[in-house]
Order: sequence, then structure tokens, then C-alpha cells
Amino acid sequence: MIVGTQKPLDEIWDMVKDFKDTLVLGCNTCVAVCHAGGDKEAETISSLLKIRAQMENRDLTVSHSAIMRQCEPEYFEPVMQELRQHDLVLSTACGVGVNYLSARIGNIPVYPAVNTSFYGGVQEAGLFVELCAGCGNCIINLTGGICPIARCAKTLMNGPCGGTNKGKCEISDEVDCAWFLIVERMKQLGTLEKLSEIQPPRNWSTARDGGPRKISIEHLRQYEKQEQEKSELPGGNA
Amino acid sequence: MNAASNLQQVIMSGQPAVTAELGPPMSADGTEIIHKAHLLKGFCDAANITDCQTAVVRISSIAGAVLALREGLEPVMQMTCRDRNRIAIQADLLGAHALGLRNCLCIAGDHQKFSAAGRLKGHPGAKNVYDVDTCQLVGILKKMRDEGTQQGGDKLEVAPKFFIGASWTPGGEPLDFRVVNLQKKVAAGADFIQTQGIFDVEIFKAQMKEITKLGLHERTAILGGVIVPRSAMMLKYMDSSVAGVSVPPALIERMIKAREAAGDDKKKAKEFQEEEGIRIAVELIHQVLEIPGIKGVHIQAIEWESAMAKIVQMAGLYPRPVFT
Amino acid sequence: MNLEEIKNVIQRYRPYGADIKETRPYSPCREACPANTDVQAYVGLIAQGRYNEAFDVITSVNPVASVCSLICHHPCEQECRRGAIDDPVAVRQLKRFAIEASRDYRRSLRKPVDKTRNKSIGIVGSGPSGLAAGSDLASLGYNVTIYERHPVLGGMLAMAIPPYRLPRESINEDIDDILAKGIDYVTNCEIGKDIKLAELTKKHDAVLIAIGLAKSRSLGIPGLEGPGVLLAIPFLEDIARGKKPAISDNVLVIGGGNVAIDVARSARRLGAANVSMVCLESALEMPAWKWEVDEALEEGIAIHHRWGPKAVRRDGDKVLGLELKKVTSVFDQQGRFSPAYDEETTSFIAANTIIITIGQMSDYGLLVDSPVKLDERGRLQWNPATQMSNVPGVFLAGEVVTGPGSAIAAVESGHRAAVAMHLYLQGENAEAIMPAEKKTKLGEIPEEVAARIACEKRVSIRHLAADVRCHTFEHFELGYTEGEALIEAGRCRGCSGGALVDTKKCMACLTCQRICPYEAPLVQAYSEIRPDLCQACGLCAPECPAQAITMVSYDIRQLRTEMPTRLANIPRERTEPAIASFMCTHHVGVAGFNLPANFHILPVHCISRVDILDLLSALAYGADGVAVVGCGAAICKYKDIENRVQARLKRAQDLSRGLGIESGRIALLNAMADAEDPYLQVCSGFAQTLLQLGLRTARSTSAHQ
Repeated sequence: MIVGTQKPLDEIWDMVKDFKDTLVLGCNTCVAVCHAGGDKEAETISSLLKIRAQMENRDLTVSHSAIMRQCEPEYFEPVMQELRQHDLVLSTACGVGVNYLSARIGNIPVYPAVNTSFYGGVQEAGLFVELCAGCGNCIINLTGGICPIARCAKTLMNGPCGGTNKGKCEISDEVDCAWFLIVERMKQLGTLEKLSEIQPPRNWSTARDGGPRKISIEHLRQYEKQEQEKSELPGGNA
Repeated sequence: MNAASNLQQVIMSGQPAVTAELGPPMSADGTEIIHKAHLLKGFCDAANITDCQTAVVRISSIAGAVLALREGLEPVMQMTCRDRNRIAIQADLLGAHALGLRNCLCIAGDHQKFSAAGRLKGHPGAKNVYDVDTCQLVGILKKMRDEGTQQGGDKLEVAPKFFIGASWTPGGEPLDFRVVNLQKKVAAGADFIQTQGIFDVEIFKAQMKEITKLGLHERTAILGGVIVPRSAMMLKYMDSSVAGVSVPPALIERMIKAREAAGDDKKKAKEFQEEEGIRIAVELIHQVLEIPGIKGVHIQAIEWESAMAKIVQMAGLYPRPVFT
Repeated sequence: MNLEEIKNVIQRYRPYGADIKETRPYSPCREACPANTDVQAYVGLIAQGRYNEAFDVITSVNPVASVCSLICHHPCEQECRRGAIDDPVAVRQLKRFAIEASRDYRRSLRKPVDKTRNKSIGIVGSGPSGLAAGSDLASLGYNVTIYERHPVLGGMLAMAIPPYRLPRESINEDIDDILAKGIDYVTNCEIGKDIKLAELTKKHDAVLIAIGLAKSRSLGIPGLEGPGVLLAIPFLEDIARGKKPAISDNVLVIGGGNVAIDVARSARRLGAANVSMVCLESALEMPAWKWEVDEALEEGIAIHHRWGPKAVRRDGDKVLGLELKKVTSVFDQQGRFSPAYDEETTSFIAANTIIITIGQMSDYGLLVDSPVKLDERGRLQWNPATQMSNVPGVFLAGEVVTGPGSAIAAVESGHRAAVAMHLYLQGENAEAIMPAEKKTKLGEIPEEVAARIACEKRVSIRHLAADVRCHTFEHFELGYTEGEALIEAGRCRGCSGGALVDTKKCMACLTCQRICPYEAPLVQAYSEIRPDLCQACGLCAPECPAQAITMVSYDIRQLRTEMPTRLANIPRERTEPAIASFMCTHHVGVAGFNLPANFHILPVHCISRVDILDLLSALAYGADGVAVVGCGAAICKYKDIENRVQARLKRAQDLSRGLGIESGRIALLNAMADAEDPYLQVCSGFAQTLLQLGLRTARSTSAHQ
């Protein structure tokens, strides 16, 4: 899932302080799971902004709400009119949600309250770790299921650098050396010899380096198109 | 076509090679490089011009190398994977060759977070590149040199003929995989290897035994790294904090004794420790050179280039061979 | 009016979460109560010092709450899940406390109900079922008249339960509540004798027969005739009327039921020095409640088990004693009452008075000249689904049809009769509408959960000393003090009052599953917080990122809506810091409900329920500081919550610091239950800290939007 973290209140305050009526809109999927932007955190931010407004003697209206996902149009349908009643929507969704809503809401700005960080897993309650970088070309079959793109600070493909120290990465003793893990894992799987093979320079064009990406599932899209056409026929539910 | 590198010739002659290290300054003035080049000239076969080591901005390795070359010191330019993508790397390699550089050491480079181990601000917020890793970089150099082709496949009119080097941390974790690591770099095309500083000769010996079993020492020239210790504190730091380096307690003990011999005299303490450090370095050089499969030493007198002359002489590695 | 609406009229008060609770398994205490009294709700309210609301919960289903608070056989306690851990919660005694503590409040509620139906109902009998039905029907707007053959209302409650167990005033409190609705009554009026039942059915649109079992059964053994042999009910009625039945110094009571115990203990109080009982059953088999047997034994009453009466031995008018035969078995293989004797083994107990207490039956005298019929076994014909007799408009309720039972069971029968009568009078088909009321209940506390619950013995109930009480008809049981009641109420595990997931909001994030100390949540497509395991600590709800979890009882949101009122009176000009004080009601509350006025108390079921949002809100409403006052790990009702709450506070402190509000304004305070002074010290220490930080200015604390 997508993992994010709340922006500092001061930064949020600077975004909203000049708007009379702000709605803090939570997203109850990924960012809720990582406790950054679900219903609960939307209310927390709203509450903090109200207190801040009080303390600075500003007459602001701040309210909160949440929808299931801010990255699909259907979830907005029941609330879009409501959203447009406000001067600003402060979205606690990931960047996807903010972009997405911003493009659809009309003449109201949508600002982010969350810093979207990574695709991660929950290592333990409250601890989220990055495990995938969304490079578009997965090779972790070659690396014992451990992604060197996401988990090696240098995205090395052919083994550890000289910075491995006691199994940790040179950037921090709190970060595991991915290659240390890979080697140990491959030993465990009895496939260490696979690592002797040199991985050639990667083709990064499938990653973000190749420009904004899009995935089209044609059979689903065809269906949508047909449905749309049907509804546009006389007697359809246009 | 210019002559082949001096370093390559020394190695091919079968005599133990000596490389040194020259750190460029954080300055737009190249005088310091020129000064250091003079300190090293004649006491090594080539000197590495580091590429923004510890992720701190300094005069670039290529520019520094050219400055050294002009002073008659053969440079080993360094190329990290951290700062350039394969386009910039290859362009710089072509330029470096055109400027007369013949040795290139391929390394991953310290992560930008490293910032001189926190002693300087550095640029921890920089975007890193790592488009290719060391092994791949070695492969690119080889492909350019031997096939006259860029990584992408386009032909080069004139191929850069680099003597290709790579680094190796024999004592790094996972220990057993370090042999594979070297094997891959050699397979990719590394002509010479400079190792991380060795204090624990036994570990290195054991690793070299594996290397020789695989015959890698025949396919590449391994230069054992010797870091010249300057103080007990430095040794302790290296032991605890520098990746892939472990310092036997006996060595630390020797430095402490040297310091203690000076009593409260700080100046003397420094002196005694430096003297002891040079003695240790010389001993290490001898021990490393005795290990089967070793073709030379890479002596790192970090920010202490002036010590090189004495060390090389004491080690009996002076004068350096000259080829015409 | 559908059944729910009827219920809503009858049940004057619906506690928070009442509707949700109907959709879930009942707590075993509630399920066990014939009237389904929401025990968990009112015990929890008592724990929070909310006695009037506790009273409201109790009386919403039980119009004879005072009576039950003293004499109920409390099946709730027998079923209490806490019993598997240490002792069941002393529910009845807590009920008594709540009712006595809310006496002024209950009196203030007494007011007539408008008679909107223009229909009249006659009720024969004023025992618990008649009173319950009368109360409900009056609430529904009917003209109700109760007919009672005795001079006072209350039926057997007033006439057969001796006052040392049930003082007259307690019955009167209940009856006064009921009569206040505007119910007519006629005492000293025996139907069938003073008024014929047929007249009654003519006079009223519907009639309820709730005459109970008011006639003692007798034995068929030789020697009964003559003085010295008494029947239980007349004996007890004499006591109720203030007469002193003539008994000798040596009394033998035949029977092993609760009434037999009442009779024996009453005989002691009348001055009989030697009172003994003889019953067919062994100590384990005898039907009397164990605690009543124990109380009787304490009072010096001997019980002879497993002997059956053979003959009364007498010398003319003087009873000499009872001849007995050995009982070989009491029940047959199917468990039915079918005593068998060894006629050869006999015994004799000397006694000069014998009181027969082997059960009661109904007095069908009222049926004279009436079309209401008995069945072939001599019982009233009726349809249990509608509670109607063979005569349309004549209904039946209570022990007259259910057989011997408890007061609360009779109450429930009365409730059902009232609904049936209402539906009948509205022309509805009662049979189709009356539900078969049987609720599912929670299972036992699983072992692994029980292991996490600390033992906490119940607060014992004090009685007058046996040698004192056996000389007086004064009430023998002493009520809890407020402190005792608060501690005892805190023992309730809150079964069925726990966490509830809104599956529309839940996105299965596992937070609750990870945080729950009892492993109650099971997250698949969404979280299911299993009520059998949930201990209602509330730790999960404030952590739910989708705000999908609410607590069935005492959800913090309820408090949240009250917060503005509770913090409304913070004076603008003040010298003492205004402190919003979230207090655990379980132990801390016991010592802390009487804090200085600048502590604005926000009682919570457990501090684990306090949300970051609540802490922030308290600051927003102008508090100078927010104290979360918990019990300390040693006495905490829940395990392993303190660190969690501490972490939550830490985040609130970080957030408030981001607002420029000092983190020292939010604090977790711990106090021991049994140490009032250290507790106050803890609080005043915090107040001092706040004074040093300074009082927050009026500007920064203007009304919260």
C-alpha cells in the first residue's frame, strides 16, 4: 500500500489560513492504514486547525469528512457537491488523491496535508517499511524476493558496496543492507550461485524515468465504452 | 594513440606496484593538487584522484587528474556511480581520455547522506543517480574500450583505452560473498583492484586464498590497501565505524603505547603516534606483499601525502621503476 | 403502533447503545433476567456515579425495582461471566444502592399519564405481574383499576415475604411510582365474592387475572387436624398484618423451598427458640437458594434432610412432633419430582408447632359463575402466545399460569400481558405480533482472556449479626456505601458493552487486532470484534484510523457531546487553573468524584477510551490543562493499557506543542483507589504545574467552533 505521513501543522496552517472555509477530506484506504490520512486523522487535523484559528483569532470554518478512496471517481459522486461548498479542500489522501480530486473539483483548490512517501508494508504495528519502488520491471526472483531497487540505498544490482557494516547500510545503522539480506536469503534458498551472474545495466524506462506511466486494461475499457455507447442511445440512461 | 598507463606497465613488468591517493580540495584553486602531486611524484606508480569522496563537493576527479598529470604524476581518475547517469559517465570518460587520462577506478561512491561522516554539511538532500552500479560501470568501460561501442550500442569513432580498476572490500559483510563480488568485477573487465585498507592481515589472507583458488589473481592485479594510521583514536574509529575494516587490538595497543610514551606532551604524542603509524604501515605493506596473488599496494595516507616518501622508502619500494 | 413503538412507550428510558444491543447477543446477566434488565448498562452507570441514569435503566423494564433490589434471586449473578474468574458481580446489591441513591430523583418523576385511550382495564391482583401490567397499560394511556383482596397492594410481596427481607417502605416506593401514573385501585375486594368476575368483564374493556399462587398446599398425613399445625401463607399473612401468630417454642417447618426458609426464619423472629426444618431433599437438592439456607443456618435453624413426613404425633390438642420416613430418592430418572421412601426407616422430630410449607396453589374462587374455564388438569385455560384465557378480553399473567417462579419473572409475564391486551384492544392479532422472546447470549469468557483478568474479590455484603437479627423483623441486610458500590460496580467486565465495528467504514487495517490485549478482533474482509472476547476496555476505538469502531456502552462520543456543557463554566477571570479531568470511573472515580470545582470531571469507562481528539477538544474548550486520571497498573481493571495511553498522550502533547501549547498541559496521572489523600495530592500537583505554566488567556480559549 501507499504509505505517507502528515505534514507539519505549521506547513498546513500556512496553506489554509487564508481560506474562510476549509474541508479536511480523509481517504479511508492506504493512508488510513498508515494512520496518516483516514477519517480519524482528517478530524485530528481539523481539530488542530480550529484550535490554531482560535489562538490566532482568525474566523475560520474548518470541518472534516472522509471517503473510501480518493483515486476513483465513483467514491466522489455522493460528496462532490458538498465538497464544492467549501473554499478549500485539504486532502489527507496520498498525492494521487490530491491530483485526482484537484482535476475534478472545479474552481476550488485542493491542497495536500500528507507527504506521500512510499509503497510499504507494516513490519509491526506502527512501523511501515519501503519494500517496492514501482520500477515497472520486477527482478526480485533473482534476488531472493528482496528488492535492491527499493531497499538498497544505491539501487545496486550486482552485490553489496563496501558500505555494509554489521549487516546495516552505510546511510544508517537502522537500515538493513539489502544485499546483506539478499545474500543471506539466497544462501537459505540454496541459490547463491545465481548471484554470480552479472546483471547488465537496467532499462529504467519502465520506471518513472520513462515518464508518467499509464496502464490500460483493454477488456475492461472496451466494456466501459460499450456501456457508455449504450447509455447514449435513445432510451438509454443518459 | 597515447602510451599505455604507467601503472599498467609496472604491473605487467611483475614488480610490485604502488598506488597512492590524492584528495582534491574544496576549492576552485588547483594549487593544492599541484603541491600534493609533487609530494607523491616518484613515490608511487599512479595516484588515485578521488571523486568527491565521502560525498563532499571537491575539485572533480577528472580535473584533478589532469592537474596531476601536468605535474608528471600519473593519475588514476575515479568514477562514482552516485553522481552521473550512463550518459554523463560515458561523456566524461571520452573527455578524460582525450585529456590524456589512462587509468579509471570504478566505484559506487559514498552515499550522499555520508557527508564526511557528518563532519561537514555535505548535500544529504541531493538526488542520487546510481543508474548503473560498479560492476556495470566496469562493463561499460570494457565495452567502450574493447568493442568501441557505447553501452547503448552506438559506435565510437575512437575508443577510450582505459586501464580499468575497481575497488574491493575483502573484509566486508557478507564475508563469503565478497569473493563473488570480486569475481563479478573481474568478469566484467576489471584490470586491477584496489582493496579497502587492510589491518587484519589474517582475514585478508584467507580471502586471498579463495581468490587464488579461483585464479582471479591471474586475471586481475590485486593491490592490497594500506591505510597509514595517524593516531590511536583513528584506529579505534576505523575499527568500530568503517565498513569492512577491523583493526586487531594489538595494533591499537601499539598506538596507545606510543601516545602514552609522550606523557602529557601533546605535540610529542602526535609525533610518536605518527612515527608508530608509519612503522605499522610499513609492516602492513610487507605483510600484504608476501600474500600470494598480490601485485602491489595501494597506500592511503589520507590528508597526509607528505608521509608517502618516507613510507615507500622504508618499505624498500623506492625508487619506482621508470618506463620510457 | 408496532411492537417497538409500544416498547418505547413502556420503556420510559433507553440507555445509550440500547438499539445496538438488540442486534447483538445479550450479556449473560441480561439474558438470564426474565425481564432482560440491561445489567451491564446500569452497573456501568453506577461505576460512573450516574445513579439516576442507573435507576432509569433498571426501571425501564422493572416497575418493582426496589422489591427486586432486595429479594430478587438474581439469575444475573448466577450467570455473571466474572464468576469464572473470582466472584460474580453483586448485581442485586448494586441495584439496591442505585435505587436508594436515586430516591429523590425517582420521586420527582412521579406524574400522571394522560388517559388517551378511553378504554378501561381491570386487573385482579396486585402482585408483581399485576403491577407490571398495570404500569405498562397506564403508560399506554388506558384507565386501569387494580383489585386486591388484601388491605394493601403488593400481593405476596406485601403479604408473604417477611419484612426482615422486604421492608414495607420498599414495596411502597415501587407502588407509589406505579400509582402515580394515575391508576385506580380497590383493596379489600375479593373477586368472586365481593364482585363477580362477570361484572368485572362487563365493566372493563379487558380484564387481567394476576392472582398468583396465594394458597398454601397441605399434606395428606394423619394428625394434621387440630391446633399446632399451621399453613405457611396464613402464617406469613398474619405477620404481614402485624399479628403475632401463636406458635410454641419448638417449631418444625416442613419444606425445603424459599418460603419454608422465610417461615422458619420468621418463627425465630417471633421468639421460637428451637426452629428446625425438615425436607425431602438433600442440602444440594433443596430448592431454596443456597444463600438463604446459609442465612437460616446462621440464625440457628437446623435442617433435617431427606426425611418425608409420615404423621403428626399429637396428644389431643398438643402437637408432640413429626414422624418421618426415610427418603430414598426425590427425583425420578427423568429428573421429575417423584419422591420414593424407605417406609421401614423412620425417625421422629419433637416439635410443638408444625408449619407446612410445601408449596402454593391458586385460589380459583374468583371463577365462580364465570365462563373462564380450567383445563382437565385443573389449570386455567390459556393461549401462552397471547396470554388470553378462553374468554376474549380476559387475560392471564404471573404465577397463576406460569407456576411458581420469581418476582421478576412475574413482572415479565405482566409486561407481556400488557402488550397483548393493548394489541387486543387495538384490534390487532396479538398472536401474530407477540415475539417469542429468547435472546442469544455471549459464551463464557475464553480461558486465554480470563487469564488476563486480575482477580478482584467482590465487595462483601454485610448483614446484621445473626444473634441480633433473629430477634427482629428489621431488614437484616445492610446496603453498600457509595465507596463500596463504586468499587463493586467497577468489577463488571462490561460484557456486551464493548467494541462494535461499522463495516461500511472498516478497511481491515488490522490496527484493532494488533492493539487489543484480549485478541478480540478478527480481521478478514473487515474487523469483527468478537463480543465473547471483548472486555470493553475501549483501547481500539481511538486508534481506528477510519473511526469505524464505537463502544456499545459509554462510547466516548457520548461524552464528547457533553463536553461543552461540562466545560461551559470555566470562568474567564480565574485564579485556579481549569482542568479537564478525564477520570477512569473504576477506581479513581471512587476517590475522585468530589474534587475541587476547578477540576471539570469527565468520567470515562477506562482511560484507554480517551481519544487524542478529546484531549485536544478539552484544550479547545478553554481548559488550562487536561488530566487523564487512571488507576495505576496494579489496580487497573484492564491489563497493559497504560503504555498505550501514555503513547497516545505523547502524541497529543506533540500536536499541542505544534500549536504552541506547552506539552506539560496534558498529563497522565495515576492514583490508588484506597488512598484519597495521595490522589488529591497528585491532582493538586498538576494544578501547581499549570499555575507555573500560566492560565491560558481568554483570547486563546474563546468558544470552540
